[in-house]
Amino acid sequence: MVSKTEETQLSNLENQVDNGGGGAWEFLCLVRKLKVRRSEMVLKHGLSILRDPKKRSSLGPEEWTLYEQVAIAAMDCQCLNVAKDCIKVLHKKFPESKRVGRLEALLLEANGSWEEAEKAYSSLLEDNPLDQAIHKRRVAMAKAQGNMSGAIEFLNKYLEIFMADHDAWRELAEIYVSLQMYKQAAFCYEELILSQPMVPQYHLAYADVLYTLGGLENLQTAKKYYASTIDLTGGKNTRALFGICLCSSAIGQLSKGRNKDDKESPELQSLAATALEREYKQIAPDKLSLLTTALKSLKVSA
Amino acid sequence: MGLGFVVGVFGVLILAHAAYSTIQYRGLLKITEEEFSGPPMNVVAELLLGLVFCMWAGLTVPGKFLSILPDSEENRIVSLPANLDFMSFNHRGKVFPKELDVKLKL
Repeated sequence: MVSKTEETQLSNLENQVDNGGGGAWEFLCLVRKLKVRRSEMVLKHGLSILRDPKKRSSLGPEEWTLYEQVAIAAMDCQCLNVAKDCIKVLHKKFPESKRVGRLEALLLEANGSWEEAEKAYSSLLEDNPLDQAIHKRRVAMAKAQGNMSGAIEFLNKYLEIFMADHDAWRELAEIYVSLQMYKQAAFCYEELILSQPMVPQYHLAYADVLYTLGGLENLQTAKKYYASTIDLTGGKNTRALFGICLCSSAIGQLSKGRNKDDKESPELQSLAATALEREYKQIAPDKLSLLTTALKSLKVSA
Repeated sequence: MGLGFVVGVFGVLILAHAAYSTIQYRGLLKITEEEFSGPPMNVVAELLLGLVFCMWAGLTVPGKFLSILPDSEENRIVSLPANLDFMSFNHRGKVFPKELDVKLKL
């Protein structure tokens, strides 16, 4: 999870490192800690540390972590030579390690030799059939080859064993959304909200899925989840504010013919609209006219 | 840190002195055979002063307070981590090869 302060810290460090202000190692540590994907930067600055023997030896045992990080980043940037060299060094240092074996299989994957990678993973799984990372790699491999149904099948099997793995639930939800299987995706997001109720992103994604599904009941639930996102972020999530406006306009259209007894809180939408207007006025005043016309067409502005 | 610690030690010393004065006062009462009506003024003042010093030191020395509000800047989650366990290399980065493709010199 990346909080607001950590995000600013990361972007500050990124700027500093990019402009040659030093702090490359701190940047690499932060990237590892926050689990963000900055492969190009990691490759560039990680290599500059690895090339300098003095800097490299000053890291101590962390040196090997850096080799692994740079190897993965290099694969992501398709610099396979660098990745190969890093893995060779690691293999020399830890000849029997499963983690290095996984990296080697990862290199096969990056090469595009799927069958060999599959073989390597199965042989690794034979030694330890409950290795979560390798199960996940097989899912990712199926996905990379475009075999979405295979990926879903693998993930479902995986989640039967490791039910508490929220990253896997999230991946499954994203795959379902990409295939427009929204009912299944909604189930995954429910699971995620249950396991981590304080993460606003899951509430937001769940509300998005429900809004896409449509129907009066789903829209009302979506509105509630947008509201809970606003609650958790202190109203600083623009998408949730827009979601409230869209939901209330859609609910208004759907329940136009019906009796208006169950009309709920008209203040919510006008409050969201005012919050949006205030935010636009502060950050992007030239786009304010666009916003007001959009809100007017939704008939939500007060 | 240094200042807070010194103040804390001072506060504890004052409290200890208050305890000592109380014992002395009770001994004095026994000798003069008077009834105990209330603690003397200087003990009360020392107790209050010690309380303030110790509390101040206790609040400042251990470190800063962390926010527990979910929407504060430290706790507000703005993005989820990239799902690196499921990372795949079969993306459009292939089409844009990096010019940095130099060997790792070892």
